[in-house]
Amino acid sequence: MLLIPCPYCGKRNECEFIYGGPVGAKRPDPNAVNDAEWVEYLTVTPNPQGPVQEKWWHARGCGEWLVIWRDTRTHDIMEAPDDAT
Amino acid sequence: MSYDVTTQRCGLAALFDLKGSRETIQNWAGDVLPPFPDGPNTRSEKNETELFHIGRDHWIVRSPLSQEDTLESRLNPADCPPDISIVRISDTLTFFRVTGRDTLDVMAVACPLDLHDSVFGPDAVTHTEAFGLKALVLRYADGFEIAVEQSFGDMIEDYLIRAIS
Ligand SMILES: [Zn+2]
Repeated sequence: MLLIPCPYCGKRNECEFIYGGPVGAKRPDPNAVNDAEWVEYLTVTPNPQGPVQEKWWHARGCGEWLVIWRDTRTHDIMEAPDDAT
Repeated sequence: MSYDVTTQRCGLAALFDLKGSRETIQNWAGDVLPPFPDGPNTRSEKNETELFHIGRDHWIVRSPLSQEDTLESRLNPADCPPDISIVRISDTLTFFRVTGRDTLDVMAVACPLDLHDSVFGPDAVTHTEAFGLKALVLRYADGFEIAVEQSFGDMIEDYLIRAIS
């Protein structure tokens, strides 16, 4: 079980949150990429073995949206993007 | 196993949802509201009216139902400034009061939050989960209150009876 740091509520149980997807890859210019690259951007989410930046919604809490870096190997959450490097 | 706990389904209360900047709401509402609570997820009280700070720029005010008309005329939701929102939500939540020696044990069945005094203090109020539902949980001197969306009232009443028996 993750304890996710909400900027308003502090650390809360994972079950209070809804996963909001990865912080997106940079949107390519649709006219400058081929169909395969465009589909890749739309449908393939980053799945690194290591830190990944994610959006979460404190839906069953205060309603805040937040961004965390999470290490997929350990589930460790680093609060600020700089901490993940 | 049974717990030394009493649960009570509370009647309706006057409830208003307030969103927007504290200053604007304060200026609009004047002295009808208690002093705004300082910390996140805390509450204040004045003359039987309570103010719950349940999110960034988000509060719920609660009064006895008998004061609903007075509160509504003072808060005047229809004419409030456009950058704040005031909505009467009295009939959207059902409150349960959980009291007794083993209250913390029963609350631990219901709710994943750490509700010990040192973490969830005497003026604490927050949205969290109760029996898997989004719920408002409040601490009082003699126990806790749980509020859920009113259509789940019967179900949560049943869950509480099962949890304590
Ligand atoms: Zn929160």
